[in-house]
Amino acid sequence: MIKFDSVSKIYKDDYVALDNVTFEIKEGDFVSIVGASGAGKSTLLKLIYAEESPTSGTVYFNGGPLEGMSRRKVPFHRRNIGTVFQDFKLLPKKTAFENIAYALEVSGAPTEEIMEYVPQIFEIVGLSDKVNKFPHELSGGEQQKIALARALINKPLVIIADEPTGNLDPVSSVEIMQLLLKINKLGTTVVLATHDKEIVNKATRRVIVLEKGKVICDEEKGKYKIC
Amino acid sequence: MFLIIGRTIKEASRNFIRNGWLTVAAVSVMIMSLFIISVLYTVTMTASGILKGVENKVNVSVYFKPDTTENDIQKIKSDLEKYNEIKSVEYVSKDKALADFKANNVNEPRILDALNEIGDNPLPSSLVIQANSPSQYDSIVTYLGDASFKDEISHINYGKTKDVINRLNNIISEIKNAGLYISLLFAAISVLIIFNTVRITIYTHKQEVEVMRLVGASNMFIRLPFVFEGIFYGIVASVVSMGLLFAALKFASPYVTKIIPTEDLVSFYISNFLLLLGTQLAIGAVIGILSSLIAIRKYLKV
Repeated sequence: MIKFDSVSKIYKDDYVALDNVTFEIKEGDFVSIVGASGAGKSTLLKLIYAEESPTSGTVYFNGGPLEGMSRRKVPFHRRNIGTVFQDFKLLPKKTAFENIAYALEVSGAPTEEIMEYVPQIFEIVGLSDKVNKFPHELSGGEQQKIALARALINKPLVIIADEPTGNLDPVSSVEIMQLLLKINKLGTTVVLATHDKEIVNKATRRVIVLEKGKVICDEEKGKYKIC
Repeated sequence: MFLIIGRTIKEASRNFIRNGWLTVAAVSVMIMSLFIISVLYTVTMTASGILKGVENKVNVSVYFKPDTTENDIQKIKSDLEKYNEIKSVEYVSKDKALADFKANNVNEPRILDALNEIGDNPLPSSLVIQANSPSQYDSIVTYLGDASFKDEISHINYGKTKDVINRLNNIISEIKNAGLYISLLFAAISVLIIFNTVRITIYTHKQEVEVMRLVGASNMFIRLPFVFEGIFYGIVASVVSMGLLFAALKFASPYVTKIIPTEDLVSFYISNFLLLLGTQLAIGAVIGILSSLIAIRKYLKV
């Protein structure tokens, strides 16, 4: 599904964010990428959704290399990936419904489909009563659920979650984590970047540990630890 | 394609309303700029209307010797009418000249008495020539001086009006130039102001653009709502500015008519309504589109 082959990313001023990283994520995997701030977690995720391109090495997605993908194709690539972030990244001027519908609109989905799918997804995340609320009228946990619903609406191959629980209270964090596990159970690959020890240990799934841009640990059913 | 356009128009109108104060700011700056430009346009048009009126009164009179027959003069007249520079040639016979003279001096009994004393009609017949533009009188006079019928001419009444014509010519071109430069200056200033306003509007959308890109919106899909928003700005601004212009002209009209009786600003507005509105719509929309496109480039990484 996702393969990193000797990938390095060096930003301006010779800042090495990723250093010769190689690993593979199979379809249906649930992978937690852990590490301290600045270890390269976000960079790694950005390479997957083609926000950045590697300085050297190749990233493969769904069988093909992302290298040399034209700018025009990037939006289509992103429709295969659902993204969730620490700061939710909801559109503030849109209601919860419109935020989710937007992800379908951009892919040119017919209006009937939007009217059918969006309420379904609200049911999955359990927020059917908040359909017409604006983001600022929702709690952090609720906003993150809306963001997760938006990530799911396009039936992506992969869900990428960058510190999804970073801004949430423990109860909401657990709820989000449970949703991610549920989504994974239904067949979607999940890549989770976090430094929340608790939720990683509870999940007992594969853990990749990054330190200063290098993979120092990669264990099935791992725990959050310093290798 | 229609789905995309429909959705982006919906999106744009929603932004337009939900942006509230920014919309008000952008539109009001645009209204003011359009208003200033159209006031200047009206002023320039009115001024050149006045000048055209004066221009029409300028002419060259060619007076013929008493023994020239009307036939000869008519021949010369049809000769002159063939030239491109000449707009019209009017024949004034001896009798007509006398009648005009009497009419002009009806309040001067002494002059009329003197005229009666002479008994005979002392006035020569003449041709009154109007050129297409004041700058052409010089060449017309030169031509008349060398013409085959120059022996029939007693004198040409141009020397006296020559200075007036030249001065008028200068004034016309100066006013036209000044009007053009001021309009251009204001147009440039308003383009800059509007461009900046739209840029600020888009800057506040920076995060949104980022999110749009993340959920896989194509560049066109992101850009179009902003472009339509720009067009909306243009439409609303030009409609309001037309209203303001009407109010301003209506207010100023009595004063202007008092000074220059031939000018009626309100009827100018009405007869040029479509032209004014169309130009404003076009300017407004183009500025809106251009500034949206340029401002958003930065966030699209294209």
